[in-house]
Amino acid sequence: MIVVTNFRRWAIALTVPAGALAICFYVLPILQVLALSVTEPSFGLGNYIALFQNAAIGRVVRTTLVVSAMTTVLTIVFSYIVAFALVQMRPGVRRFAMFLVMLPFWISVLVRAFSWITILRRNGVLNSALGEAGLISEPLELIYNQLGVIIGMVHYMMPFAILLLYANLTDIDGRIIQAARSLGARPFTIFWRVWLPLSMPGLAITTLFIVIFSFGFLVTPAILGAGRVLMIAEYISVQISGTLRWGVATALSTSMLLVVAGLVALAMRHPAFRSAFGGSQK
Amino acid sequence: MSVNRFSQDSAMIALDKFTSGKIDRRAFMTALAGLGLAATFKPGRAAAETSEIVVCNWGGAALEAFQKAYGDPFKEKSGIEVVIDGAGPSTGAIRAMVESKNVTWDATDGGMVDAATLGAGGFVEPIDYSIVDKSLVGDGMAAEFGICNYTFANVLAYDAKKTGSQTPAGWADFFDTAKFPGKRTMCKWIQGQLESVLLADGVKPEEMYPLDVDRAFKKLEPLLPEIIFWESGAQSQQLFRDGEVVMGNIWHTRANLLRKENPDLTWTWNENLLFSSAWSVPKGNPAGKKVYDFINSSLRPEGQIVLLRLMGNGPSNPKALDMMTEEDKAVYPLAPENAKTGLRVMAEYYAENEAELQNRFLDFISR
Repeated sequence: MIVVTNFRRWAIALTVPAGALAICFYVLPILQVLALSVTEPSFGLGNYIALFQNAAIGRVVRTTLVVSAMTTVLTIVFSYIVAFALVQMRPGVRRFAMFLVMLPFWISVLVRAFSWITILRRNGVLNSALGEAGLISEPLELIYNQLGVIIGMVHYMMPFAILLLYANLTDIDGRIIQAARSLGARPFTIFWRVWLPLSMPGLAITTLFIVIFSFGFLVTPAILGAGRVLMIAEYISVQISGTLRWGVATALSTSMLLVVAGLVALAMRHPAFRSAFGGSQK
Repeated sequence: MSVNRFSQDSAMIALDKFTSGKIDRRAFMTALAGLGLAATFKPGRAAAETSEIVVCNWGGAALEAFQKAYGDPFKEKSGIEVVIDGAGPSTGAIRAMVESKNVTWDATDGGMVDAATLGAGGFVEPIDYSIVDKSLVGDGMAAEFGICNYTFANVLAYDAKKTGSQTPAGWADFFDTAKFPGKRTMCKWIQGQLESVLLADGVKPEEMYPLDVDRAFKKLEPLLPEIIFWESGAQSQQLFRDGEVVMGNIWHTRANLLRKENPDLTWTWNENLLFSSAWSVPKGNPAGKKVYDFINSSLRPEGQIVLLRLMGNGPSNPKALDMMTEEDKAVYPLAPENAKTGLRVMAEYYAENEAELQNRFLDFISR
C-alpha cells in the first residue's frame, strides 16, 4: 500500500511543472482577456447586454448554430458508416482503410479548403465532369455559400469522428452479436437492437466533440463561404485585430466558453457520457 | 484595416517574385537573417544609444523589399541599421504592445486610417514635423499621426475574353449584368467597396463623403448573388485565373500580376479608388526621435522607385514621377494619365466610421 501511495505522490508531483506552465501561460492570460469583457471600454456588463441587443450578432450566432448542427448530423451519419465498415474489415484491408482515414490529418486546413475550391467551383472538377456527362446544363453552386462551408467542415471533422466511433465499436463484445444471431435475429434487427444501442456512448461523445469543434471554425467558413457565411470565430477575429472592439469580442468569447462548458456539464449528467468518459470504472 | 491587408499582400507578391527567381537569393537571405536579429535583440534596448531602427511590416519578402527601398539608403547615410520585423502591425497588435509598455517597433507600415484610429486611441505619437519634411510627399499625404510611405488603388479588373474585348467604362458597368454577364468579385473589407457601388449609382465623386450606406446597400443587394467576396489579394487573383469571375474590385498590384501572366486579364484606371499607406510611430518607441530621420529618408524618390519596381506600390513623393519609365508609369496610380478619374478614399471618414461600417457590411453581405 505504501509503495502505491508514494508512487501516486510522485506521479502527481511530476505533473506540477506542466500544470504550472499551463496556469501561467494559458489560464492566466485567458482570464486576463476575459476580464476585458467587463472592463472595456468601461466597467460593467455593457458588452454582454450589447450581445443580446445587437441583431447582427444574433444572425452570426444563428448561422453558427445552423452550420454546426448540419455539420454534426452529416459527420455522424457518414462517419458511423465508415467506422462500422472498418470494424467488419479483415485486418490487412482495415490497416489500409485506416491509412486513408488518417491521410487528411497531415494536410493543413488551409490546403484542404483550397482543394475543395478546385473541386467545387463553377469550372471545377466536379461541375466539369457532371457537365460533360450531360447531367447538368448550368454549373451547380457548390461553394461560396453555406453548402460549401458545410462540405469543408464535414470533411475536416470526419477523421476525428471515425476514430472516436471506431474505438467505441471495437469495444462492443462480439459474443453479444453472436448471441443475437444464434437466437435468430435478422441482420437489421441485430443492427437496430444491438449495435446501435451499444454505440450510444460513442455517438454521444462524438456528437459533443463535433458540436464544440464546429463552433470555433474560422478558416473554412472564411474561405469556402467567401463573405456570405459569417460565423462566430471570424466575427471575433475581426473585432480583435480590425475594429478594435475588444470588449464585444471578449464578451462573445466568454459567452461561447460558458455555453461549451454548460454543454459538457449537461452532457455529463447523462449515463451514456459518464460511461464514455469513465470507461470501465463505472 | 484593408490597408494592412494590402501591405501584407505586397509582401506575398514579393515572395512570389523571389520564388520565381526575380529577386536574388542572397539579398533575400540577408533580409531573413535581419529578421532573426530582430527577434533576438527586441526587448529592453530602449535605454541604449540608438544603433538601429525597427520597422514593422507584413513579412514575407516585403522584408527584403523594404530593406532595399528604405533600409539600405538610410544606413548608407546615417550608419544606423534598419531592422525589418515582419510580425504584422495590426491596430490590435500595436494597441497590445503600447498598453503592455513593451514597445519594440519604431515605425509601422499601416494605412492612413489605421494611423488616425491609433492616434485617436492615444497609441501612436504625432509625427514630428519639425524633423519630417512634409514637402516630400504629395498633397494630403501628411497627417497628424501618419505620413504616406506609398500609394495603391482599388481598380476595376476584368477578363477581356469574357467581356468580348470591351473595356468596362467604370463601376456602372460592374453592375450591368446584361452587358457583362458572369460573376463578380469584391472585397469583404470595407474600404473602397461602397465607393464603387455609389459611383455606379451616380453619386458624384465630390459628394461621396459621408457615404450614403443605405443607398449603397440598396444598389448592391440585387447583385449579391453574383458576387464572390475575396479576403486576401492572392484569392482575388486566383478567382480571375480560374475564370470564375468576369470583373472585380481588386488591388492594382494584383491586377498588374494578372496582366503579366495573361494579357486578357487586365484592368482599367477609370474610377479607381486611391489609398495612402502610412508610417506610424508607436507611443514609447525604442529609438525615440531618431525614427523621424529614417522616415525622412524613406520619402526620397530613389528608394520609392525601388519599391514600385519590386512590389508595384506607388511612390508618395511626386518627384518620383520624373524618374519613371513608361513601364513604371503604367502601374503607378498617381501618374496623371491614371489618376484622371480616380477618387481619393477619405481616411478621416474611415477613421471615424470604419468599425461600424465594417460590421454592418459583413452583416449585410452574409444575410
